Amino acid sequence: MTHTPRRLALLALVVVAAVALSVSFGASGLGPADLWRFLSGEADPTTRSILLQLRLPRAALAALVGGALGLCGCTFQALLRNPLAEPYVLGVSGGAAVGAVAVVVTGIGLRLPWMLPLGAFAGALAAMALVLAVARRASPGRMDTRVLILSGVIIGAFFNAAILLLLSLADVESFRSAIFWMMGNLSGADWASTGLLALLLVPGALAVLSLARAFNLLSCGEEVAFYLGASVQRVKLTAYLAASLMVAAAVAAGGVIGFVGLIVPHAVRLAWGNDHRLLLPASFLAGTAFLLLADTVARLVVAPAELPTGVVTAVAGVPFFVALLLRGGRR
Amino acid sequence: MRGTAPAREWRPVLEGRDLSFTHPRADEAAVCRVSLSVSPGRLLAVVGPNGAGKTTLLKLLSGSLTPQEGGVTLDDRALSDLGDRERALAIAVVPQSESSPFPVTVREMVGMGRYAHLGPWERSGGRDRAVVEDAMARCAVAEFADRHLGELSGGERQRARIARALAQEAPVLLLDEPTAGLDLRYRMELFHLLRQLRAAGLGVFVITHDLNLAARFADRLLLLDRGRGRARGAPEAVLSRESLEAVYEWPLRVVPHPGPGSDTGAPQTVPLRRDGP
Repeated sequence: MTHTPRRLALLALVVVAAVALSVSFGASGLGPADLWRFLSGEADPTTRSILLQLRLPRAALAALVGGALGLCGCTFQALLRNPLAEPYVLGVSGGAAVGAVAVVVTGIGLRLPWMLPLGAFAGALAAMALVLAVARRASPGRMDTRVLILSGVIIGAFFNAAILLLLSLADVESFRSAIFWMMGNLSGADWASTGLLALLLVPGALAVLSLARAFNLLSCGEEVAFYLGASVQRVKLTAYLAASLMVAAAVAAGGVIGFVGLIVPHAVRLAWGNDHRLLLPASFLAGTAFLLLADTVARLVVAPAELPTGVVTAVAGVPFFVALLLRGGRR
Repeated sequence: MRGTAPAREWRPVLEGRDLSFTHPRADEAAVCRVSLSVSPGRLLAVVGPNGAGKTTLLKLLSGSLTPQEGGVTLDDRALSDLGDRERALAIAVVPQSESSPFPVTVREMVGMGRYAHLGPWERSGGRDRAVVEDAMARCAVAEFADRHLGELSGGERQRARIARALAQEAPVLLLDEPTAGLDLRYRMELFHLLRQLRAAGLGVFVITHDLNLAARFADRLLLLDRGRGRARGAPEAVLSRESLEAVYEWPLRVVPHPGPGSDTGAPQTVPLRRDGP
């Protein structure tokens, strides 16, 4: 516990470095020197506008989405008492994808692009409400986490079928943009969507962070947590609602970006242990840095085109995860 | 406690009256019209065969299960009226077993006992740390405070869980078979610790299969059989050959403890071979 402030400060420095790196590189060829001129107030209007209107909002969006996914992955792992849970385990991504794909396939997405995140958000909320309703009906009075997982998996599978159905009806152009969205993609970033995402994340993040000590108790089992004074049902419901809302908002803004919510909390656990008072904020900051770096790579490797960010997180994430497992096994 | 002043001298009586509970889809009641009280400065041992309803009784007393008939009170306040934290400040429980998917250190685990003492944003202070260190010292786990639970033996883990309950500083302590998996020395040390806690004014309720230690350390015994209180009172009164043979369905003898010391004469149960002596 005594290490907490120092470790969080260290991570915050890493985040600052990742932001600088992300803003310094991009398709337009502006480099670190231009960033420095911008910071000292000597940049020309084009440079200013590229940095302020393109790169900074995108970095901010990547930071928020990555942080939210890291934090929510950690929350679902605590809630479901399963270290392999990730933010999409309860079907939220499936609901968001159905909403987004519906908007794209019906052609609304072409005429009104801002409808896509809205559709994704609505789909995610619908999935969340459906999963919760099934879980509460199946285990009245108490939210049984095993029932929650099962209903999440089943409803997620249903949504996947719905996505395939919609895609099979789509034309080539819609198909491509729907797939691109599902692979996770931050290219739509602007200040408005970033600001909206930040507004949605703040209350959810505060709610989850206030439960840090209750999550520690939950890891010993619900019965033990109850004996130690945790209001178990309230903690679980709050964690579920707050994390699902944050995931819904993050997915609506950035598409389905995998592996961040799984790898980031794991890396923090292996390095610094399982005290959620450190683990939760550290997962947020590490998720932020990780997605900033992944998005920078996504923008650079095939410039001036770009890769879906979710592809980079998956390609980087899997070997990283295997390395972590091997290291953890040796200890 | 060494080095730390007790938070308060509140010594409530935890009382269960006519408690009955039938598990869902069960034919027979797990607990049927059992009354008991856990009083300050008293050590109550609950004994009885497997499946007699001992753990269900503990869950009813701790608020984990709600009795279908009867009620539990803490100093004349209904237990169900207490908030979760308020209840945890009054009653500490050491359940039979638990597992954690995430490895935590002994110190982190014992520190969880302080949950009810702190607000959600409150950081643990010097007194919390002192209580945690003291609880670890009393349960002889201080030397591996920074080891992970998974690296410890079953007995060491069990002692860490008891230390967590002590860190709660609750005036009532309920334990479900705390000596399971402990060797002779730690079994004796655990009961010595329970007797110290009782002397310090705590009300202690302990479920145990160790009739002989229960006879030596408990003030009162409750013998449960198929959910009903079969006998209760001083160890000498409860541990009679007739009632034990009937309850356990096994031939046995009850002999006085040979001594020396204050245990001299305590009824010790010796099971016989079934084909006779």
